[in-house]
Amino acid sequence: MDFATLLQPLLLSLAAASLYAAVASGLTLEFGVVKIVNFAHGDFVMLGAFVTYFLATRYGISPALGMFIAALLMGALSALVYYGFLARILKQDQHNQLLATLGLSILIVNTAAILWTPDARALHVPEILPTLHLGRVTIPGNNLFVALVGVCLYLALLYVLNYSRWGTLMRLASDDPELATYSGLDVNKAFALAFIIGGFSAGIAGGLVSLVLYVQPLVGIDLGIRAFAIIALGGLGSVPGAMIGAVVLSIVEGIVNAFVPGGGSWGYGIAFVVLIAVFLVRPYGLFGKELRS
Amino acid sequence: MSTKIVWRLPVYLAIGLLGGGFAYWADPYLIQIALGVVVAALLALSWDVLSRCGQVSLGHAGFFGIGAYFSAMFAEFHPAIPWIAGIGACAIAAALLGMLTLRLQRVYFTIATLGFALALQVPVLIFDGWTGGAGGIAPALVAGGDPAAQLLVGTALLVIAAVISDVVLSAWFRPAFFMIRTKPELAASSGVPVVRTKLLAFVMSGALGGAAGVLYAGLYGYIVPGDVFNLNWSVLPLAVTILGGMDTTLGPLLGTIVLRLLEEVARAYIGGVGYQVVYGGVIIFFIAVMPTGLYGFLRGIVMRLRSDATKADKP
Repeated sequence: MDFATLLQPLLLSLAAASLYAAVASGLTLEFGVVKIVNFAHGDFVMLGAFVTYFLATRYGISPALGMFIAALLMGALSALVYYGFLARILKQDQHNQLLATLGLSILIVNTAAILWTPDARALHVPEILPTLHLGRVTIPGNNLFVALVGVCLYLALLYVLNYSRWGTLMRLASDDPELATYSGLDVNKAFALAFIIGGFSAGIAGGLVSLVLYVQPLVGIDLGIRAFAIIALGGLGSVPGAMIGAVVLSIVEGIVNAFVPGGGSWGYGIAFVVLIAVFLVRPYGLFGKELRS
Repeated sequence: MSTKIVWRLPVYLAIGLLGGGFAYWADPYLIQIALGVVVAALLALSWDVLSRCGQVSLGHAGFFGIGAYFSAMFAEFHPAIPWIAGIGACAIAAALLGMLTLRLQRVYFTIATLGFALALQVPVLIFDGWTGGAGGIAPALVAGGDPAAQLLVGTALLVIAAVISDVVLSAWFRPAFFMIRTKPELAASSGVPVVRTKLLAFVMSGALGGAAGVLYAGLYGYIVPGDVFNLNWSVLPLAVTILGGMDTTLGPLLGTIVLRLLEEVARAYIGGVGYQVVYGGVIIFFIAVMPTGLYGFLRGIVMRLRSDATKADKP
């Protein structure tokens, strides 16, 4: 084995890490602020992928633009879901909230299967960026584009959360909702904001999915489950943790897929072996804080 | 409010009569539906037992699959061996999972159990000499493959599960479970053996989930990893229990019957693809409208009627 055979899967894994981070950072933001694990987050990604796919195939809109349209639509849909449903169940027990978003996920996946059939489709458009050749290592242009957009999205989320008025509002509302209310802040608006931003990033991630994966109703569950492992790995609610978790997972997955015979069919198994190993040492993930009861 | 086992005898009798009645008089289609209800109800009771000490699991597909697979791997001997192997392996796996996840709080626990169930496909694929790998494996048929007899076996298991569930709800266990669920810090300091109680809940829950898996595997005599280690088997018990009413024995049973019937109706109208859309719709409707489940909702109505009656008695 020489250097190039090792570097090729490694670089492709990093492109995958970028996509995973795009999915997981929105999810961890939603949990960090509202303290609800949104099991339907992956399905918003799936819807975003379908929107980008249909915009490209029916109207000839490039996915580079289409993913922003998808993001705006998913943001709007998230607002609808938050105000219409989730805002009403914030006071309920944890298991009810869990089931609520699971129900949402089941509803979205099956509606998608009825509307668009469960078939997998591949989006055939010209690559947005040229293929990158580094000696004997080649990175396809689409993977490169996914990696770049994923990183940009992640940095944008970090900026919004840490340096903007919205970010301050969300952090105050999540740290101590009662105090925030007494200080005249609109906690409900902060929570809605977290879901809208999460939905927006899910839409972008969906656009990326349509470029590198098959577009199908179940793709969201697949990514969503990995995203849970990632955010638990990094620490629930921690945006930097989501990036670290995504990198760790995608590299381990890349290595197993490339070098373990039959490892390609292990699927999420890999993710959760890594997760359990981390939990043995740190029960709240790498960057997580202990949950208050 | 703790449950006195003796008062529950009519419930067990009703389950037994219902299952037995279906087995003798119903047509094959209804018997298949009843079998589906029994498997789901077993799994739901298994889930509820664990949830009573505050552990919200999304990993019951794991117990289900372990039960199914171990029963299949030990299928060649006496007919009782698959049951012992499946249930025993699940009890051990549950105890191990319990020890591994003792320190995990709430959502971390849920995600870890989700992972437990999904990761189990990996050993099935690796040790394909024993498990048949991706191609699947053929367990021994329960009751020789006669659906009516299978339903009787399932009904008997369900009655046992209901008794176990009621024992956990009785004065022996309920206070400890309640303490651990609501005030975990306080439980230890007031003398509740937290670790032992949690592990006991795990073992009971695992054994019941394993029994559901053994029964399911023996219904048709063929399983593949993607069929039993499937997220659906983790979501189903959570959904039917919350719909029916948590922390009760009747709730999971009621919820299973309602959801399974709705599923059949949806399958008839929507067809094979996407019929589970009703699952999503029903879950959202219940969470929004009756968050305490059917059992809680009905109880609320009964209580209100009763208090109205007592008010009416007084001049």
